[in-house]
Amino acid sequence: MTKKMLMLATAMSLVAGAGMAQDKPKIGAALYGLNAEFMQLWAAAAEAHPAVKQGLVELTIFDGRYDALVQQEQFETMITQGFDAIIFAPIDAEAGAAAVEAAVAAGIPVFGTNTMANTDKLSSYVGSDDVQSGYMEAKFLLDKIGCTGNVVIIEGPLGQSAQIQRLEGNQKALAECPDVKVLEQQTANWSRAEAQTLMENWLTVHGDTINGVIGQNDEMALGAIEAIKAAGMDPKSFAIVGIDGITDALLAVKAGDMASILQDGGAQAQGSVDLAIKAAMPEYEPMSEIWVQYPDMPWADGKGTMYMVPWTPVTLENVDALLATRQ
Amino acid sequence: MTMTIPNSGQILQRYGIFIALFVMCLTLAVISENFLSTRNILNVLRQTSINGILAIGMTFVILTRGIDLSVGSVVAFAGLVAASLATTSATGMVGNGPYPALLAIAVGMAVGMACGAVSGVIVSRFHVPAFVATLGMLSAARGMALIYSGGRPIPSLTEEFRWIGTGSVGGIPVPIFLLLGTFAVAHFVLTQTRFGRHVYAVGGNPHAAKVSGLPVRRIRFTVYVIAGALAGLAGMVLAARTGSALPQAGIAYELDAIAAVVIGGTSLAGGVGRVTGTLIGALLIGVMNNGLDLMGVESYYQQVIKGVLIVAAVMLDQSKNKQD
Repeated sequence: MTKKMLMLATAMSLVAGAGMAQDKPKIGAALYGLNAEFMQLWAAAAEAHPAVKQGLVELTIFDGRYDALVQQEQFETMITQGFDAIIFAPIDAEAGAAAVEAAVAAGIPVFGTNTMANTDKLSSYVGSDDVQSGYMEAKFLLDKIGCTGNVVIIEGPLGQSAQIQRLEGNQKALAECPDVKVLEQQTANWSRAEAQTLMENWLTVHGDTINGVIGQNDEMALGAIEAIKAAGMDPKSFAIVGIDGITDALLAVKAGDMASILQDGGAQAQGSVDLAIKAAMPEYEPMSEIWVQYPDMPWADGKGTMYMVPWTPVTLENVDALLATRQ
Repeated sequence: MTMTIPNSGQILQRYGIFIALFVMCLTLAVISENFLSTRNILNVLRQTSINGILAIGMTFVILTRGIDLSVGSVVAFAGLVAASLATTSATGMVGNGPYPALLAIAVGMAVGMACGAVSGVIVSRFHVPAFVATLGMLSAARGMALIYSGGRPIPSLTEEFRWIGTGSVGGIPVPIFLLLGTFAVAHFVLTQTRFGRHVYAVGGNPHAAKVSGLPVRRIRFTVYVIAGALAGLAGMVLAARTGSALPQAGIAYELDAIAAVVIGGTSLAGGVGRVTGTLIGALLIGVMNNGLDLMGVESYYQQVIKGVLIVAAVMLDQSKNKQD
């Protein structure tokens, strides 16, 4: 079945390719899954890249459907079809490594983005440092409550790399405030509904002795806000933080209910597209505006190994501009 | 005509699960001073409402020897469709919304019923095993939810719509009324109507039911429509409660619903069971989740304890049966 589909895909690409310019580089983006808002913003930004829009390169986006095996098969397809460069956000760091090595062995450079593959064969990586975001959100919260009081932490799925690294960042900031007590720490699996239930139950136990809520993503921080509202309390009397900068969180920041830190998936996408084109066309100069937008992340002639897109705290000053980009 | 008449064994069966809930509440009341506070009790009931509504629909299906694995996906799909009619945000809005909440709710219920009707036809007309038919719907409804929403959440629901999730009447949250209302209607239908008796008959002995001239196909079809409608309702309560509808909502909700039905003493072999038991079963799961949070039990342990307690509750039930 898979083999048939592969043949069909190959045949279709041959037909499609015949009608197009032969020297147009083919770039594939293998993303771990397109069900959530973050990766959709990533994909939309990649397709909006000036070089893609102008038809300089041909970009194909693959939905990995959160399955390492599906991603492996997509790599096989790209190798068979002779793609010129691959952008890769693996669902699993270890399983992803094998896919990268197969592509590199076939002479196709692979650029990591958003999630790491556990291999040294990546040409470079464009992502954001989760330890840093965990530190930034906790630091912001601790400053707001004056480095004293009680906080609760709502974690991502235990064992996922983002949960581990954001927690590391949280704890780094908490270590700077020894007077702050962590009353509760529990996972809500990135889910707003689960976080809401968790927070309702914590409010029952601790009531208004909770001063701050650290959500390791926005969804869960928003769940905590709903729980606080349902208990007849005012979210503004708590310090609440989240990470990612999803649309609902931007609205909550605007309402003064929480603070969030934007992970710029769009910049990760456009940065990796620039790097992939550079690998296929050595004379290429980057066309995305992100290199101007983030002077802290220099282009380095496309030769860097780590490109870390800075996190942007969402504030009342920039929230309207960010919301305007989501319409 | 074969009919299941309640006997002392079944009464004991009902008490078994009731005792389990009582013991758990008593233990929690001793361990945690907050457990019996009014606010916490209302919290538990509200947290139970979504699973409770799903489990009541599931009870109808399981009573006919069926199963509905699709309810979690239908929760997401119906919630999104209703939300698209009740959002003030340009992302996801349909036409010149927002429309009145009642319209959104009616459409959401209709979406749930339509999904249930498709499963129902496949099971009753084409004799595809319920497990397979609803497994297909589990995948298809999730896919339709993703297509409909473009994979993105639909935020900013109107206050009017959110009332079904966050409102309260006389200090009692609306979801609790919806759960109790659903329970009252389901209890009446199953115990006082001809349709209810037919549901038991079809599950107890499908062959005999057919021979005695019952509209077996129509009954089988109808229970999936009921489960779908209630999944639609649960999906809307969930969206209203959290303030936005998500295509990823409701994943694995069918498992908690099935657990509530089974804990509540309804037999997976069909024909035996009560919606009262299901309500108690759902409460047992809700109380357990709440209690483990109140006691500050770590996530890893919570999952193990939950699994053990579910099996233990059913074992208690079984041993009551044997003593009889």
